[in-house]
Amino acid sequence: MISIWVGRLSAWASTPAVWGLFVTGAIIYIVSQWHVRLVALLAQYFLIGILFSRLFADRPEMALVKMLVGWLICGALHLSARIREEVNPREAPRHGKAEIPFRLVTLFTLTVAAAMAAQHYPLPFVPPDLTLACYLLAVLALLFIGTEADAVVVGVGLLNLLTALDLFYSAQDPAILVTGMILIIELLVGLAISYLAVRQVPEGEP
Amino acid sequence: MTIAGPWVIVGVPLVVAAALQVLRRWTTVAAWVGAFTAAAMGALLVFAPADGEIGLGRLTLALYEPLVFRGRELVIGGSDPWALAFLFFTTAGLLVIAWRLLPQSLFFPAALATAALLAAALMASQVVYVALFIEMAALLIVFPLQESGGSGGLRYMTYATLALPGLMVTQLLLDLFAVFPNDEGLLVTSAALLSLSFAILFGAVPFQSWLSTVATDGSPPVVTFIFTAQLGTVWFMLLDYLQTYLWLERQAALGTMLTNLGIVMIVLGGLLAAAQRRLGRLVGYAMLADNGAMLLALGSERTEGMALAMLILLARPLALGLMTLGLQGLRDFGQGSDAHERLMGAAWHVPWRAAAFLIGGVAMAGFPVSPGFAARWGLYHLLARRSFFLTTAALLGSAGVMLGVVGAIRALLTPEKPVGGRPVTVAEDRVVIVLVVALIVATVLLGLFPQTLGRTALHLAEGYTFFGP
Repeated sequence: MISIWVGRLSAWASTPAVWGLFVTGAIIYIVSQWHVRLVALLAQYFLIGILFSRLFADRPEMALVKMLVGWLICGALHLSARIREEVNPREAPRHGKAEIPFRLVTLFTLTVAAAMAAQHYPLPFVPPDLTLACYLLAVLALLFIGTEADAVVVGVGLLNLLTALDLFYSAQDPAILVTGMILIIELLVGLAISYLAVRQVPEGEP
Repeated sequence: MTIAGPWVIVGVPLVVAAALQVLRRWTTVAAWVGAFTAAAMGALLVFAPADGEIGLGRLTLALYEPLVFRGRELVIGGSDPWALAFLFFTTAGLLVIAWRLLPQSLFFPAALATAALLAAALMASQVVYVALFIEMAALLIVFPLQESGGSGGLRYMTYATLALPGLMVTQLLLDLFAVFPNDEGLLVTSAALLSLSFAILFGAVPFQSWLSTVATDGSPPVVTFIFTAQLGTVWFMLLDYLQTYLWLERQAALGTMLTNLGIVMIVLGGLLAAAQRRLGRLVGYAMLADNGAMLLALGSERTEGMALAMLILLARPLALGLMTLGLQGLRDFGQGSDAHERLMGAAWHVPWRAAAFLIGGVAMAGFPVSPGFAARWGLYHLLARRSFFLTTAALLGSAGVMLGVVGAIRALLTPEKPVGGRPVTVAEDRVVIVLVVALIVATVLLGLFPQTLGRTALHLAEGYTFFGP
């Protein structure tokens, strides 16, 4: 009974969740304050949980685990950000004013490309809204990895890429073992980026 | 009670790695316990009786019995024992080297845990799990890689993760192709994705930047571990793909593709190595050329070529271990820099490190006297039967690496006044010198008598039958 309701709810909420992914990704890409980015990432994992509940309609606990692992990663990143701030309080990466229009244009262009790709190249055995989610996550991953040097943002890009892969692969082969291993990989990526984030920061000048 | 072999091969190193994480404050203990565990796993695989059954009181260890979990299995089959032994002995050797170089490092637990994951990858029957285990291993080794700073850890993690989707999707497409054999598009897409993923993992052009960044930023044992154990397993994963999907090799002109990729890598690796004025990058580009040589050997589509590729892989730990050991000492002399101008005259102050770099470099370039020479000589012979152009290009690549090494040695020997007021006398750890000498002796001996390595390479190659007899 519960799984039927979860299935209906997730089917209803999945399209807004897809665009929610885009909005949260855009916030991470455009806003430079780590507090805001972290809240956006938390929200992103909530939306990812909704999308997975559609794929795992008969096993909603799997979607819950995905969400919880995402939030765990957010916790690790929060700790790293705090340590970075303590070690070097002056280090507050901000995008220059001239940079923001370029970021907006790039984001817009790639989002259009993702939407068009989702229409013209549908992924086999994947519902249309989840196809769009896969493409959007892949595009966000490309943006984060290709245009950022900060370990945390690049790491979030890698996590987005893994989520896109997980969505696609789970639609084809919902074997719990592959899903579980991807979860472990996501957790390892999360831990690695929080470690790299701490190691990357230069000591503040006295 | 019977225990399946994979439980021990994966479980024991993982449990010991967890203990080493606690013990790593005591470097000597961590290094030797880790090395002993890895060596014990290697010895278990090499010296196991033919049926693989070892009695342990009431317990029986059945080495070749599969470990089945949710319908998926890990099993030691075919040439796996040799590949696993190579992995564990390399890990053991590097843990001993790390003993004096990396005090209290994360490398001790991480290397052992990574070796366990790579072993699981070698034993996994389905290629998708091989890819997932290799990705996990890559993520674990990022922690010790980043200890020495720089951007090597992030770069390596990024590239390893970028390769994963291609490998996983390829497996899905190939399974689909088995159902719809008339859909040639599936085959073309999977061949393209597979090539892209392996190009990323091998650091092929244009993805070579991670090789040089890792070589520049990482500490010697970690770099050698990534370039030998980790890349070696990637190599076996490629062979697993070809073995699992036999028709991929037959239909997608894979031999030509591997040859083309290999020739580009060896030539570009050689050219870039020859132009380098930083030793770390030279190591990275020598690695690129070496990977190219392996692909060229495989591209011959002959068992002989496969054995040569294995020989190149087996020769790599010694050469790379020497090169990176030398590099570390020279970098210390250059106060963190490995640029030629900072290392002028270094050979007169840290002669053993300079010798290690020279001999390691010669071996990586495939020049005598080194085990790499036997492998490269065989490769040139094999290529000469096919094409004069390929042979010349392969020779050019090796010569390029050698030119890079000669340029480095020239800088190290040039007795110019040091730049930047660094201390002229540098104390060298005697244990490290002993290690350097041992590696040099092993390199020369194996260069003079490469038969032992050759036989192991043949054993490894025999497990893969996709090229036919």
